[in-house]
Amino acid sequence: MQNRLILDGGMGTMLQAAGLGLGERPEIFGIAHPNVAERIQKQYIAAGSQVLYANTFGANAHKLAETGYTVEEVIAANIATAKKAADGKAKVALDVGPIGELLEPLGMLSFEKAYEIYAQIVKAGEKSGADLVIFETMTDLYEVKAAVLAAKENSSLPVWVTMSFEATGRTFTGTTIAAMALTLSGLCVDAVGINCSLGPKELTKLVKELRQWTTLPLIAKPNAGLPDPATGNYSMGAVEFGQCMKAFPKLGVSMMGGCCGTNPDFIRALADALQEAEIEQSEGNRAEESITPLRRGVCSASQTAEFGKVGGCGRILVIGERINPTGKKRFQQALRESDMNYIMERAIEQADAGADILDINVGLPGIDEADMMTKVVKAVQSVVSLPLQIDSSDPQAIEAGLRACNGRAIVNSVNGEPEVLEKILPIVKKYGAAVVGLTMDKGGIPETAEKRIAIAKRILEATEKHGICREDVLIDCLTLTISAQQKQAAETLKAMHYIHDEMGLHCVLGVSNISFGLPQRQHVTTSFLTQAMCCGLDFPIINPNQKEIMDAVSAYRALSGEDKDCAAYIERFAEVTSEKMTGVSCSEMTIETAVLKGLKQEVANLTKGYLETMPELDVINGKLIPALDLVGEKYEKQQIFLPQLINAANAACAGFDLIKTRIAEKGGESVSKGKIVLATVEGDIHDIGKNIVRVVLENYGYQVIDLGRDVPVQSVVDTVRRENVSLVGLSALMTTTVSSMKKTIASLRENGLPCKVFVGGAVLTESYAMEIGADFYAKDAKASADIAKQTLG
Amino acid sequence: MQIQARLTKLNENEILMYLGYRGQEYTEDVREQMGRCEKEVLKTAVPRLVWRRFSIEDANFTALSLQGNDIWELLDGCKEAVLMAVTLGPEIDALLRKKSITDMADAVIMDACADTAIENVADHFEADLRKELKAEHLFLTDRFSPGYGDLPLSTQKKLCAVLDAERKIGLSLSPTFLMIPKKSVTAILGISDEEKPLRKRGCEVCARFQNCTYRKEGKHCNAK
Repeated sequence: MQNRLILDGGMGTMLQAAGLGLGERPEIFGIAHPNVAERIQKQYIAAGSQVLYANTFGANAHKLAETGYTVEEVIAANIATAKKAADGKAKVALDVGPIGELLEPLGMLSFEKAYEIYAQIVKAGEKSGADLVIFETMTDLYEVKAAVLAAKENSSLPVWVTMSFEATGRTFTGTTIAAMALTLSGLCVDAVGINCSLGPKELTKLVKELRQWTTLPLIAKPNAGLPDPATGNYSMGAVEFGQCMKAFPKLGVSMMGGCCGTNPDFIRALADALQEAEIEQSEGNRAEESITPLRRGVCSASQTAEFGKVGGCGRILVIGERINPTGKKRFQQALRESDMNYIMERAIEQADAGADILDINVGLPGIDEADMMTKVVKAVQSVVSLPLQIDSSDPQAIEAGLRACNGRAIVNSVNGEPEVLEKILPIVKKYGAAVVGLTMDKGGIPETAEKRIAIAKRILEATEKHGICREDVLIDCLTLTISAQQKQAAETLKAMHYIHDEMGLHCVLGVSNISFGLPQRQHVTTSFLTQAMCCGLDFPIINPNQKEIMDAVSAYRALSGEDKDCAAYIERFAEVTSEKMTGVSCSEMTIETAVLKGLKQEVANLTKGYLETMPELDVINGKLIPALDLVGEKYEKQQIFLPQLINAANAACAGFDLIKTRIAEKGGESVSKGKIVLATVEGDIHDIGKNIVRVVLENYGYQVIDLGRDVPVQSVVDTVRRENVSLVGLSALMTTTVSSMKKTIASLRENGLPCKVFVGGAVLTESYAMEIGADFYAKDAKASADIAKQTLG
Repeated sequence: MQIQARLTKLNENEILMYLGYRGQEYTEDVREQMGRCEKEVLKTAVPRLVWRRFSIEDANFTALSLQGNDIWELLDGCKEAVLMAVTLGPEIDALLRKKSITDMADAVIMDACADTAIENVADHFEADLRKELKAEHLFLTDRFSPGYGDLPLSTQKKLCAVLDAERKIGLSLSPTFLMIPKKSVTAILGISDEEKPLRKRGCEVCARFQNCTYRKEGKHCNAK
């Protein structure tokens, strides 16, 4: 048992009893009435608290903005009060809560800005003499990550973290207990746990789950039961609370206290109860401490890919390989144009196809890889919740990816070269990632299994030296093409067999290279994949969009027993048989009908047909756009309404995508009838209207640079200048944010940029639009397309 | 008094209204698409509720220092007030974000469904509370939200602080007082001894909604 520590109880409730109003800032109250806070904290010490949380929970730049106090002042004053109360008898923790503004992608605050806010707090706390920092009542793992990195990089204080969960085992933002444990164990915090949320009874189930995922010291600081909704009062008495808390040491919790609704009586009852429990234990009435095997894995904030055990038929985790520009012209174009939507679609597609982890590779000559890695990681995790694998050989890009990743990632990759290991493993360790080791070095890929095994051993030595545990090391024995080096397939399998069975390491492998240059590649690829899985491959890197390959994985999972009762297998293939009804394509279907009815597949088929005889641009101007015009006309005449208009645009999109890919593969200029910048203005987060306009404009063949929502004025100006854009669309939904629309237009004009501006949004009218200096008012998406035609042709 | 956040089947007309429906062709395909989208929104939403009941003279309520005339008109004669906040949770924001990449039409319909859903949750709370109050022989006014009439949107800040909405239901504000998660509603209601007239509901509750000739022309049957 780790050293047991008794923490303190509620501060907010106590201050309220002493005159603090609801919604008033307790930290400011603490400055005005230092004796009140000190009195409360002294009571906690008298009750048995060994750690005092200073009254600094909301002392951050955001929450103190209009109070007239600086973060430094507030922290110094409240830590001083706590230290005076502690008088050397207890430790004083710098208590830090959520910033109070949500991080992207849900909110508007950037990860980097959150980091700065926390760095300021932690520096002030250390300077004021805090003994440790506790981040508590957190609900967003991304915010926690920013906070922990800020603490580690700006102070030497021990870092404790507790998050607040609902009875479902998730926080309000969807963070799971496993994700918290994996990510924070990786980041090497000093203790982790749960506070607030629920009463002690409800919390035990969550703590049991937590214990399975981490070996760190655990903290439990529950509320005094559940509150009455109308009054906000808590239901549980002090004695009952103390008795309930007896359950926690048995679950491996070493630090305990109370949160909302608790007071010094609760802490005294807790201390008494713990003493009783110790006596009971020493009397031989020892409760069995459940020792569960530690579970491991990688995760996003809301989803975990749990690693199987090494040896035997392990759990298969499919790593999707499609976010990678190598050999893909269309993807390269998307990277060069910073077209995140295209990349996000590739991520969603793979998630829907059944990938468990997504590999992210953005290496392309002429692109700042680290910067692009940050952008792509953020974009991808805004739309899928799969864990990520950061794929690069550039240490800066790897660090950028690991930093931006919301969760715990895998790094792909290091190899047997000492120089590479020394450069990359410290980064892997700092962010607590798992790592892929390629069995190659300066001399290339060895031809024999034995030599690859020797390299794997070298890699393992290095990872162990850097404190990375062997369960987090994934060895890649490398696939060579059988059409060129036929004997190599067997060597790869042999090496993998040994590394998995004898060395007890996980194996990862990019499989599809095996069939390069052969016809009907899927037969060789799937057969090799199955053999590899039998030899111990548990992390296949594949294209999950290829049905045959995922079918092979599904079949393997049924055979190995991982797929209990073959349930997933049955579900997968039961669906297929009932699907045969669809896909009947009517040969007489015209492009107009196909677009109007929103039939994607038919539009794609028709487009394919046209492309056999017509140049790409003619298909766009002569077929797709006239069809869209017809739909637009029907919309204007109120024959169809919004969903049908967008369904039509979506269907046309299937045709455009085909054309874009074809042109990119040919290496031609991208099809564009002109560039248009779109943005939801600064301060506004409503982007549905802007997104509708984006889809429609893209389908008229314009290249849309979508800057997103809450876009700063300067960012619009810079983009227009850099990209030489002559049409800008701005959206604002609230009366209060139309002012920043006005500012954006004014700034474009002041900078002498010769662009036209159209505006739209619920509160705008034609005259209002003119009043704020716009060139056009777009009442809907159809009107935007008309404006684009008029301006750009 | 225990009132749970409740979300039930959505009012189709209300969804159609948000989508700008005015008697256009409403094909079977679109009807099916709407049904699918509604199902996904109902499945994804995690409705949460926090509310507090105050005496109108309670320091915590007066600390809101509510501005404008409209809210005081609503609270006229009320001895108590209720503050409430409801949200569908961040899962809906994530769903809409994903759909606006893969299928904009679904995204637009789901957005309308989510708007309808959050009103549904707020309506249920209002109805449930009204019922509870009836037992005390008290009456509940309509709900009034920051940003309505002359009640400034900035009222959100204190309202959410008093409700401790961030901690209780995960509702926070942008610096411009927009609510995150987006599909959320905050409101103030009054409790009085006497029954007060409640506001008339809009076209969406009318049986003729889908083929009303007035609506087709953008008018109301009760137009001034």
